[in-house]
Amino acid sequence: MAQNQFYKEISDAIVNLEKEKAIELANRAVNENMNLLDVIEKGYGDGIRRIGNLWEEGEFFLPELMLGGTIMQESMDILLPKLKSSGENIALGTIVIATIEGDIHSIGKTIVGTMLSANGFEVYDLGADIPAEHIIDTAIEKNADVIGVSALLTTTMFGQKKIIDILENKGIRNKFKVIIGGAPVTKSWTEECKADGFASSAVEAVKLVKELLNK
Amino acid sequence: MVNIMKFHDWLKDDSKIVLFDGGMGSEIFKRGIKPGKLPDMLNIENPKIIYEIHKAYYDAGADMCQSNTFGASFLNLQTYKVENQIREINKQALESIKKACPPNRLIVADIGPSGEFRPPVGKATPDQWVSSFTKQANHLADGVDLWHIETMSDIEEMSAAIEAIKSISEKPIISSMTYKKTKRGFYTIMGDSLEKCIRIQENAGVDVIGANCTLGSDEMVDLIKELKKITDRPLSAKPNAGQPRIDSNNRAYYDQPIKDFVSDIREIIQLGAKVIGGCCGTSPDTIGEIRKVIDSL
Repeated sequence: MAQNQFYKEISDAIVNLEKEKAIELANRAVNENMNLLDVIEKGYGDGIRRIGNLWEEGEFFLPELMLGGTIMQESMDILLPKLKSSGENIALGTIVIATIEGDIHSIGKTIVGTMLSANGFEVYDLGADIPAEHIIDTAIEKNADVIGVSALLTTTMFGQKKIIDILENKGIRNKFKVIIGGAPVTKSWTEECKADGFASSAVEAVKLVKELLNK
Repeated sequence: MVNIMKFHDWLKDDSKIVLFDGGMGSEIFKRGIKPGKLPDMLNIENPKIIYEIHKAYYDAGADMCQSNTFGASFLNLQTYKVENQIREINKQALESIKKACPPNRLIVADIGPSGEFRPPVGKATPDQWVSSFTKQANHLADGVDLWHIETMSDIEEMSAAIEAIKSISEKPIISSMTYKKTKRGFYTIMGDSLEKCIRIQENAGVDVIGANCTLGSDEMVDLIKELKKITDRPLSAKPNAGQPRIDSNNRAYYDQPIKDFVSDIREIIQLGAKVIGGCCGTSPDTIGEIRKVIDSL
C-alpha cells in the first residue's frame, strides 16, 4: 500500500509538471533499491499516460506536453542506467524518427520523439531534412522496430512514400513498421503509400506504436 | 494616406463586406514549386508566378490581397539560411503585388509566424520575435496599405508582432490567430483560450481581430459565433478549404466543393464577419464565387 502511495506521488509529480519532485523521487527509488520496473510503469508511465489523456481532453496543450515529456526523460536518465546495470532491458522497442528530405519542420517530430521516449521506447531522432536512404540505413544499423517519418509540407509528403518504395525494393519492407505524420497526412494518404499507420498528435503516435508492436 | 482612410471607411460602412484573397501557398504548389523550397524565395526567383497569382485574385474581385511574405520574417529566413536576403525578398514581394493591384484596391502586408516557439517547446524569446518582425516590417511599411498578422498559434508571438509593427507604422492591423477545436472549445495549440487571445488583441489596439487556417469553413462558422459573443471588434475569417489530399502525381489538392465553402462563408457573413477570404486550398475561383455572394447581399 505504501508502495502504491509512492507510485501515485510520482504520477502526480509528472502530471503537475513538478520537475524537482519527479527527479527527487527517481533518486529515492534508486537509493532505496526499489523495483525500478514497477516504479517506471506504475509511477512515471502512469503520469505520462495521464498527460496524454489530458491532451486529448483539451486540458493540456503543447507546453504541458513538452514539459511533461522532458521531466519524464530526465527522470529516466536517473533510472535507466541503474536498471541496465542490473541486466534489465526495459525499452519497449526501437524507433528511428526524422523529418523527410526537403522539409525543415522539426517541432512536431521532436514532440513525437520526446513522447515516445517518455513512454519507454528507445528513440533515435535524426533531425529534419534527412534523405530517405539515410533514415533507412540508420534503421537497419540500429535494428529498429519502427521508422517514423514526418512531413509538414504537402510538397514533401511523397518522401514518406519513397521510404516505403525503397524498403520494398530492398526486400526488407517486413522488417519495419513505418508510421507517418505531419499536418497534411491523412488516412487515405497512409493507405495510398502503404504505411502501417499515421497519427495526428504525439499522444496518438504513442498509442499507434504500442498497437503496432503489441505492447 | 488615401488608402489608409479607405480601409477605415470600409470598416465604418456597415454595408461593406471586405473581400480578402485566398490561399497563396496552395496556388504556388499548383505551379510546381520544388519540395522544401521557401515560397517567399519566388519573389526573387520567379516573380512572374507571384504577380499572376495576385492578379488572378484581384481579377476575381478581391478588395485587397496580401504580399507573398508569410515566411519572410528574419527568424524564419534564418532557418532557411537566407536571412541576408531579407530586404530583397520583401521588397520584390511588394513590386509584384503593386504591379498586380488595380486602382482603388488595397495591398496588405502579410506577416506569418517566425517558426520559433517559446520554451518549453522551443527557445525563442519575446525580444527575438520583436526584433525579427521589426526587421521584416521595415522593408514593407512604405509600400502597403495595412497589415495582416496571421496564422499565429501563440498569443505571445502575436503580441510581439503587433508591438513590432506599431513601433514603425500607424497603418491598420488585422491580427489573425489560428485555433484548433478541442473538446472544451477553441484554443491555440499553445493553450491560449479564445477569451484570452481576444482581450490581448483588443488591448493591443488592433483594428480587426480574426482567425485563419487549421479550421475548415464549417468549423470557422462555429468559431465566428463564439467570437461574436466576446468582442465588438470587426472580425476577419480566412478558413481552409477542408483538409488536403494527395493525387496520383503526389500533389496536394483540396476536394471540398467550392459551393460548400461558399455556403459556409455566406453564414459567416450573416453572423457579422467584416473581412472574408480563404486560406489553404482556396483559389481565385473560390474568391470569385464569394464575390458573387457579397454582391448579391
